[in-house]
Amino acid sequence: MGKKKEAKPRKLNRKDQSLKRLENFKKEIVTDHHTVPIDVLCSRLETDIERGLSQYKARQLFMETGPNALTPSRKTPEYIKFIKTITEGFSLLLWIGASLCIIAAVIEYVYRKKVDTDNLLLAAVLVLIIIMTGIFMYYQQNKSSKIMDSFATMIPQKAEVIRDGQQITVNVKDLVVGDLVDMKFGDRIPADVRITKSQGFKVDNSSITGENEPLLRTNQCTNENILETRNVAFFSTNAVEGTAQGIVIMCGDHTVMGKIAGLTARLHPSITPLARELNRFMTIITFWAVILGIIFGVASIAIGYPWIDSALFIIGIIVSNVPEGLLATVTLSLTVTAKKMALKNCLVKNLEAVETLGSTNVVCSDKTGTLTQNKMTVCHLWYNGDVVQADISEDQYDARKYTETPGFDILIRCATLCNRAEFINTRTPRKYIMKWEVRGDASEAAILKFIELTRLEGDPDEFRKAHKKLIELPFNSTSKIQLSIHALANNCLMVMKGAPERILERCKTIFINDDVEELSDELRQTCEKACFELAARGERILGFCDMEMKDTYTYSYPFTIDPLPNFPTEGLRFVGFISLIDPPRPEVHNAVETCKTAGIKVIMVTGDHPVTAKAIAKEVGIITTDSIEDAALFYNADHDETKDAIVVSGTTLRELQQDELDAILYTYNEIVFARTSPTQKLQIVEGLQRLKNIVAVTGDGVNDSPALKKADIGIAMGISGSEVSQQSADMILMDDNFASIITGIEEGRKIFDNLKKSIVYVLASNIAELAPCLMFIVCNIPLPLGILAILCIDVLTDMLPAISLAYEKAESDIMKRTPRNPNVDNLVTFRLYFLAYCHIGVLEACAGFFVYFLIMYEYGFKPNRLFGLRPEWDTYYINDLEDSYGQEWSYEERKQLEYTCSTAFMIAVVVCQWGDVLACKTRLNSIMVQGMTNWFMNVSILIETLLAIFLTYTPYMSYLKFYPVGLHCWLYALPFSGLILLFDEYRKFCIRNYPRGYFYRETYY
Amino acid sequence: MTASPKHQMSEKERYANFLYNKEDGTYLGRSKEGWAKICLFYLVFYGMLAALVAICMWVFFQTLDPRIPKWQMDSSIIGTNPGLGFRPMPTADNAESTLIWFEGSNKTNFNKWVNNLSAFLDKYYTPGKTEKGTASIRKCSYNQPPKRGQVCDFDVRLWGECSPDKFFNYHRNAPCIFLKLNRIYGWVPEYYNDIHDLPENMPDDLKKHIASVKPEERNTIWISCEGENPADIEYLGPISYHPQVQGFPGYYYPYENSEGYLSPLVAVQFLRPVSGIVINIECKAWAKNIKHSRADRTGSVHFELLID
Repeated sequence: MGKKKEAKPRKLNRKDQSLKRLENFKKEIVTDHHTVPIDVLCSRLETDIERGLSQYKARQLFMETGPNALTPSRKTPEYIKFIKTITEGFSLLLWIGASLCIIAAVIEYVYRKKVDTDNLLLAAVLVLIIIMTGIFMYYQQNKSSKIMDSFATMIPQKAEVIRDGQQITVNVKDLVVGDLVDMKFGDRIPADVRITKSQGFKVDNSSITGENEPLLRTNQCTNENILETRNVAFFSTNAVEGTAQGIVIMCGDHTVMGKIAGLTARLHPSITPLARELNRFMTIITFWAVILGIIFGVASIAIGYPWIDSALFIIGIIVSNVPEGLLATVTLSLTVTAKKMALKNCLVKNLEAVETLGSTNVVCSDKTGTLTQNKMTVCHLWYNGDVVQADISEDQYDARKYTETPGFDILIRCATLCNRAEFINTRTPRKYIMKWEVRGDASEAAILKFIELTRLEGDPDEFRKAHKKLIELPFNSTSKIQLSIHALANNCLMVMKGAPERILERCKTIFINDDVEELSDELRQTCEKACFELAARGERILGFCDMEMKDTYTYSYPFTIDPLPNFPTEGLRFVGFISLIDPPRPEVHNAVETCKTAGIKVIMVTGDHPVTAKAIAKEVGIITTDSIEDAALFYNADHDETKDAIVVSGTTLRELQQDELDAILYTYNEIVFARTSPTQKLQIVEGLQRLKNIVAVTGDGVNDSPALKKADIGIAMGISGSEVSQQSADMILMDDNFASIITGIEEGRKIFDNLKKSIVYVLASNIAELAPCLMFIVCNIPLPLGILAILCIDVLTDMLPAISLAYEKAESDIMKRTPRNPNVDNLVTFRLYFLAYCHIGVLEACAGFFVYFLIMYEYGFKPNRLFGLRPEWDTYYINDLEDSYGQEWSYEERKQLEYTCSTAFMIAVVVCQWGDVLACKTRLNSIMVQGMTNWFMNVSILIETLLAIFLTYTPYMSYLKFYPVGLHCWLYALPFSGLILLFDEYRKFCIRNYPRGYFYRETYY
Repeated sequence: MTASPKHQMSEKERYANFLYNKEDGTYLGRSKEGWAKICLFYLVFYGMLAALVAICMWVFFQTLDPRIPKWQMDSSIIGTNPGLGFRPMPTADNAESTLIWFEGSNKTNFNKWVNNLSAFLDKYYTPGKTEKGTASIRKCSYNQPPKRGQVCDFDVRLWGECSPDKFFNYHRNAPCIFLKLNRIYGWVPEYYNDIHDLPENMPDDLKKHIASVKPEERNTIWISCEGENPADIEYLGPISYHPQVQGFPGYYYPYENSEGYLSPLVAVQFLRPVSGIVINIECKAWAKNIKHSRADRTGSVHFELLID
């Protein structure tokens, strides 16, 4: 089945096209639309900065470029998906079996005019099994991806556009490159727009960067990189403040968001490790079954069997070799685990992902919202010359204990008054102040909450009311300060906060050592140093200062700030800094530690600044060393090899070649990527996958979605996560708790171990099914185990015990070992086959034959009579076959005897599977240690037995070739069942005591 | 933890290396000694297992009598309703047909039927041949049933015309078909020996015949053969049964696996069947504990006759 290579050039087929499109989506945007002077841009786009495009030009462009919308990715029709599920893996083999049955029946009908009900029944049962498994798998896999739909909800409907100098409202779809658009707060940006005019225009780029803080947009180009520059607003982001006008420079799929959407929707997630293992397993089984089938089929034809018989042999070999129930077992086991994980707040969307977490060896985590709480919180205070750490834990209980020094008092007064944030619904008491809702800017909200915690001045609201605000200068990005004047008892107080350097330069005195001192150069340096130290921790610092105003400025003084303040705004008293950070979630540190113990590398990939990223990384334990390599130096000759950690910024990453990135990923154990774009996140994931890592990606933003989709397992946040990220992910953490990943890893590793056990269990009965078939062909004995009985074992009695192994508890501390190496530690190893086939399987086959020969003897056929008897036995016209006692058996009678034996054989296998399932409970420990507390298993053994009883003793089962057998038949197999258990206990004993011994080397799976 | 980006063998190399690794001297991932050891291990392991199974079997077989089946009649699957069979048997190349088709004028053609019959009847003509002389064979009659351990011989002269010397009359287009009843250990027929208590569906000919038989000879499993349809009856013509008693004498029962036991046979001769047409014939054995089932082929047998 060699693939033919087509040398001749041809048109791109659909697959190539979509691949090419995907490659386009992956490219970083390189453009100078935002850097060139505005008039150059205008002439380039044939537009006008005042009048916009002409209607004609706009229409023409629309015809050329199409609508400003996201192109949906092509979807595979559902019926194709279903057909795929029923033609994959084992199904194909079973189809062969079923068609052989039908062919045999047709031939029978054509030549003998006889309806061969046996073969037709068998074909029907086989097809039924295929379809049932197919439907089952289809339902499990059919997670209709709504990625594009979720993107669509982010896109605005209408836009204000200026064409021919007239403002009109158009559908966003009708926008074209060059259009002049008006935007105001509350809108979504209708395309990638270069700002031409703006008034306090702020956008929230969180869908692209992951950081939801309002960013100022002006008409100045501040960076070569389009993602960093200030004069571009992006498609589908939110305008939160102000108004602006701009020229559309990119539309639809070419926009930054369009690329993210296109990437996310078109990326094909790499095949899961478990699927890879299962495919490998199915390939091996298929190969083995086909080889065996061909050998025996050809041999039997060569020997001279009629080819109907040969077909029957092949059907038997195929059916007995294929573990029909296995795929369903695996899926159900995974479902069981997924349910368990759902209880622990891990919602699994893609079942196979359950195991993927277990084999994950790299976790790429987004910072904001995943590792951190995504809530600005006061973390340090600097006043009176000291740094005081604020409590950033969730309950912040310690916060109430801050010492009430005079300096603190002053700082808090200043912070309370110079703050515009307000609590919403303060009167409904909530458990944690952290979770109270606040109206206002994130930093101010954080400070307000801190004040509420300390309650130094009582209710901040009351305090503010008591000190009436006379005038206010809101924060603005040029002056970077905010000031307000409040009425005190006798005079007025001016309070000011802002960027530390701006605040310090306005101060003349400082409150230090419980006193007001002159702000000398020395003290100024002390302040700057403190500020620098806090900044190095990635914290956002605000300086505070105040001034009691001179008597001239009373309440009645007509304060104004327009155009300039009519009061002095310099010579203030510096009172301290408050530094803020988005603090890590408290449980993250332990979780990261556990990951590291479990041999999993945790990499931070964030859109935030390197300094903040590094600080948080250190805090949560992603970086544990102080010697951090600067990525820019990596390819200098003198870079320090001994360093273990590295921080790579997006700018550096952009300049790295693919192999350089790979080298970084390979060399360093502790890596932080900062300032990364969505495509770079994807590149990092792909780099890790090139190095044969199994990568988990956690993220909550739209910007994470391509990486989430590409990762071996994408993990989204349930509460804070955007819909797009949840649609792209395989798993959702319902409590947003990074630590829940640990549960996932643990369950994933356990299920992998337990799946191995299930497979051993299921495969063991294969030999007991195959051996009768081979004996039937080779020794010509009447068929000891019918094909329907084989199917009943595989899809009925074996199912539940195999699934129950998924409930088995872990044998050792699975979180202390390293992740499995997907290249070496396979699900199904040679040793596993060996144990299942050559040890347990052989014992089961022995039990089956033992029962078979015994029953045949009891009814009159001694073993020596049976060998070579098959041709006469199966000949319909021989109605008087003589047994060892000289009795003559009619065809119907001996067929009934055959089916009775087959039933007894099945019962023997069921009885042996009791011992087998107990033997499979553990891979290493004695069953005495493991215990019998797995009640699901105990019950499933009972149900297995009841099913066998049902098949055997229900009256109408004779239609399915089951006949009642004596109770003693159950007992005959019991010693073998015990032997399986005993032998396996002995084997495990040897493995435990001779870790390098034979049993370990050959049979430890 | 992570694979090096370089240093990777091609698929083919890896495969070849697996088959035979020069460096380590391993075949299929195992050295010669390794293979020897593992073979030895499994030789011993399976040897012990086989011995175990053999011992278990032997022990269980000790509980079974080699001459008396453990399960008999209704407790066995064989039941109490014996199958009725006929000879000659259609040949294997026409496996599932029940058509006896021959040309009386063509010796090579009918000879295969004759040979088939001769082979089947061989042991009747040379009794004791198959046994090692331990059988105690004696002549039985209705008044002298065999004692325990004795078996009755079968007088082949009773078949009259139907003898190999006369080609079973196939050459005269008056073929003999032999009927036999399946042996079931311990099965005793319940005879229709009361002429007032005969079943409704028994052919009148047979009823008349039973009435004409001496009362002590009525302990017999009666045989009747008929054309299945009125047309068949007409085409079939007269039938003669050998031995005269028209059945299996009761003294052959029960069968108890004694050495040298021969099943009683009835030769049915169709004296003047119409040639060139397929005649459907059904023969039945009559005893109170024989039920006739066409599907299970017990108690009755169906075959077709075609003479060219």
